[in-house]
Amino acid sequence: MLYNVHFGIYVDVAMPVEDKSKSLLPVLSSPKLLPDESEAEFQSGLQGLLSELDNPSPLAVALVSQLNECLWWIKRHTVDKELLLHEAMARLLSKAGNHWDTYDNHKVSEALERYLNGRGDKDEAAWIDEILAESKLTLSDLRVRAFKDAAKHIKTVDDLIHRQHQTIRHLQRSIDSIDYKSRLIKRMDLELAALESKQSVKGVTLDDKSS
Amino acid sequence: MTTNPRRSLANQSNALKSTGPRSVAGKRASSQNSRKHGLNSAPDFESSIEYRALVDLIAGEGFSTFACADIAAGLLNYRRVMDAYYDTYSSPEPVDEFLRDANVKASNPIFSELLGPSGSEPQDVREMAAFFASMQRQERRKGGPVSRRSSDTHKLIRYQRNGTARLSRAIRQG
Repeated sequence: MLYNVHFGIYVDVAMPVEDKSKSLLPVLSSPKLLPDESEAEFQSGLQGLLSELDNPSPLAVALVSQLNECLWWIKRHTVDKELLLHEAMARLLSKAGNHWDTYDNHKVSEALERYLNGRGDKDEAAWIDEILAESKLTLSDLRVRAFKDAAKHIKTVDDLIHRQHQTIRHLQRSIDSIDYKSRLIKRMDLELAALESKQSVKGVTLDDKSS
Repeated sequence: MTTNPRRSLANQSNALKSTGPRSVAGKRASSQNSRKHGLNSAPDFESSIEYRALVDLIAGEGFSTFACADIAAGLLNYRRVMDAYYDTYSSPEPVDEFLRDANVKASNPIFSELLGPSGSEPQDVREMAAFFASMQRQERRKGGPVSRRSSDTHKLIRYQRNGTARLSRAIRQG
């Protein structure tokens, strides 16, 4: 069956799910990705979710696409939580040992980021170790203090993640409702067909009796 | 580009003397300054091509005409909110590194020079320094780029909640 959509877009309910999600793109604005994010990873997540549905309708595809976006947001916000902690650690390091004026916060932040990811060079690692030693802190001490400092901002990100979970729950319920509706319609069609065939059989037997 | 502290301070103190836009075009442009995401304005989905396309698409799924209209509007509204969510997240308020890291106490000679002969009273210089110190405190309280984008996005939570509830209700009642 073909759904005729304006400006020449056709959605075939029997077409592969990948094509269905693409056919909805001109109608609904698609989720945008940040410059450093992988489109392929996003699409593979979407296809993974769609493959779990048995012949999804265009509306179900649209909802699954929104659900995939929510999962993507959870991922982004989880990364942000770690970045917030790094931001607070860099701030503490810059302040430590009365070096607020001499150590550039931006420079410390970048160096610490590389140090924590294990991508920093020897000089940079030595520099961070030196600041840590001057401020009489270990990396775990610094992390604990930073967590305390950034607790308010981390709570904000937790709220954002919680909101995405709630949205996923709503979308999931909507998808279930569409699925139930389509199964109900199918069942009613079958029952109607069975009734019609029964009626026609009765009609034939009545004709036989009257003749 | 390197920031010249003297230039930066001069720009900020000159900006304080500004009396705002004078031309009609300037006033029109500045009237939109406080517009953040546009989610409080009532959208007109019904006249859009996307809306009609969606209604046609949903009609094939056994929903009533009213339900199709509700679902299509709900979907477009949800996308509007999520697009604003992305825009807010991807373009947070920039960090004013100069203001954040400036040593206000050491800038007193620059303030007195900027104020010129008319404002050479120590009181004027102290007031200007206090003003810059309060601006610096505000800037530092906002945190770095990640905390800024998180708190900006947090303001859109209620729009997302309402958008999701509207869409979900339209589908389940349809």
